[in-house]
Amino acid sequence: MLKTSVFCFLASYVLAFACELGQFRWRHALARIVSLLMAVAGLIAHTFYLLYRSNQSDLPPLLSSAHDWLLVVAWLAVLVYLFVSLAEGELGIGLVMWPVVLLLVVSAQYVTAAPSHVLDYHRNWKLLHATLLMLGTTFVLLGFVLSLLYLWQHRRLKQRQTQSRAIKLPNLELIERLNRWTILAAVPLQTLGIASGFGLSIFSKGGELAMTWTDPVVIGGAVTCLLMGVLFVWLLIQKRSPGRQVALLTAWACGFLLVTLIGLQMLTAAVGMRSIHGNASAPAAVATEGQAP
Amino acid sequence: MNLLALYCTHQTTSLAVRERLAFATSERLVTGYAAMKQRFPETEIVILSTCNRVELYVARRSDAEPMTPPMLAQFLSEFHDLPLDDFVGELRAATGSEAVRHLFEVISSLDSMVLGEPQIVNQVREAYRVAEAQGACGPIIHALFQGAIRTSSRVRTETRLAEGKVSIASVAVGDFAKSIFDHFDDKLVLVIGAGEMAEETLRYLKDEGVREIVVVNRSPERAQRVAAEWGGRAVPWSELNTWLGQADVIVSTTGADKPIVDASLFKQVRAAAAGRTAFILDLGAPRDFDTNVGDLNDVFLYDIDSLKKTCEANRKARVREIDKARKLIDEEAAKFMAEYYHRASGEVVSRLMQDWHAVSKDELDRLFHKLPDLNEKDREQIERTVERIVNKLLHPPLEALKVEAREGTPHGLINALKRLFRI
Repeated sequence: MLKTSVFCFLASYVLAFACELGQFRWRHALARIVSLLMAVAGLIAHTFYLLYRSNQSDLPPLLSSAHDWLLVVAWLAVLVYLFVSLAEGELGIGLVMWPVVLLLVVSAQYVTAAPSHVLDYHRNWKLLHATLLMLGTTFVLLGFVLSLLYLWQHRRLKQRQTQSRAIKLPNLELIERLNRWTILAAVPLQTLGIASGFGLSIFSKGGELAMTWTDPVVIGGAVTCLLMGVLFVWLLIQKRSPGRQVALLTAWACGFLLVTLIGLQMLTAAVGMRSIHGNASAPAAVATEGQAP
Repeated sequence: MNLLALYCTHQTTSLAVRERLAFATSERLVTGYAAMKQRFPETEIVILSTCNRVELYVARRSDAEPMTPPMLAQFLSEFHDLPLDDFVGELRAATGSEAVRHLFEVISSLDSMVLGEPQIVNQVREAYRVAEAQGACGPIIHALFQGAIRTSSRVRTETRLAEGKVSIASVAVGDFAKSIFDHFDDKLVLVIGAGEMAEETLRYLKDEGVREIVVVNRSPERAQRVAAEWGGRAVPWSELNTWLGQADVIVSTTGADKPIVDASLFKQVRAAAAGRTAFILDLGAPRDFDTNVGDLNDVFLYDIDSLKKTCEANRKARVREIDKARKLIDEEAAKFMAEYYHRASGEVVSRLMQDWHAVSKDELDRLFHKLPDLNEKDREQIERTVERIVNKLLHPPLEALKVEAREGTPHGLINALKRLFRI
């Protein structure tokens, strides 16, 4: 199997983002094509990297480590970006999506990359837990991106600025609708993901998967999920709510959840704190050193 | 090339003269074609008559007597029953490649009042279609107008000349309203006042699918007229606040001398519609909505000044594309002329070759008649030799013709060949 490194796809994504930015000054079909090609090249390298890691650890990427889990979320985000870009070429989604993708990929370097073979027990349940959380987080991430797009478009319209020729933003009504749906999808997925995590911990009481109430990742995840739940209920009971208010709340809630999840993973890896999601092992930046071809 | 374009446009001629020279109705246009065909037989004609221009394109075979501007001016004078002196000084003429370039610029909207506007393409297409229906087109006009349509398509796709809206109403709807709403078929449009700009805005909104229009005006008659024209309903002025509270899109063009709606009133009337977005287009001068209405949540207020900035920016962006468009037009005009001359010289070439080969065939027949003992193989050898001689003799003049056609008009050489070889 083709062996690639994080640097390969990270560099492609950085170039794709640079091309998107470049279109502000130099609008040309070529820049758009280069941007898409870079994104596709990066996605292919990214896929090979995840497959290679999965082969090495003999675990699905979602179960292998926090490093791989974050990279799967980033992989999904790039896939969504490509889908939207190919369907609606002029939408400026990349300007918001790429920083988030880059943040995920870079963050993945600072969380644990060591495969966790604790997962051999209750493998299917663990897979369900990781998948639900991963899907929930992807929807959270999309909600975050959509909220930023909404706020950007809202600001432009309030300030009566001319629409950029190079990059078009979706209309407010559409973003608002999509945003609502991402939150309505993200919260149940996140809740089920966390609930399945608690369930796993209870069933393996006393075993290696036993949860401690001081586990920062668990506490952070539960708190942010609670916040998202409040937003979810608020969205359900409000017949009509000002779009900007929804976007602001979503941006804060989703942003907080992402920062908490990633930040806590990085923190546990950095200080060697005990956590069932990444306990006391070296961060990926150290652990994968020298693996690049 | 025996082609003449005689024209008067918004840039050269006042509306007072243009409207008297216009072929304003389709009946008038048909009569015009009939009169021209009668007066100028064997002539290909296209009449382009719009609110911004009256243009005549006439073409004849190369060997026919060329058309001149005075001939066409005289025709216009007689047809429209206008004294020649009233307009002759305002007419412009272009011939040959200049006429080609002029048409290419017109159809590409470089000569339009609103640079890059799209209607001119359809107007030129329609003029060509009518000319064809009237049997007024020939090979030159067909090639010319097809070339023009191809050029306009290139200019539109390869430059940004037609990008960005440049009228207040189109910017309001295209750049702002469409950035707020995803669809318009479920939106309520309230029109306050019944000015021209409100109607223009309604046209763009209707194009976007608006179904429900309410018109409120101090004069119920005017409200009724606008409502009837745009498929809406007129309501009394006293109901203004009720409809302000329900509308999604508000277009205001009253002649009020001070704002009729301020933030507190608007907030109050919108209380029942909290969270619902309002797009307000204030086209009044002075403004109908107090500027602080725009500070309210989910209210997007645009006045003429704020939209003018976008119009101006778009206009400047279009102006920046003029050189690029001209370059394409020059390229297409040169290509058209080269193809035309190639076709023109092609006729001479084929006739010359036909004549020489006919002569050689006659002579060979005579020779074979005198030498009946020649077998089939010998005859074939002789035929091939003679054919080679003819081709070698024809090669230098034909090559010279080809080279000259590539560089421009080869009239001199074509005429010389015609005279020398009696074609």
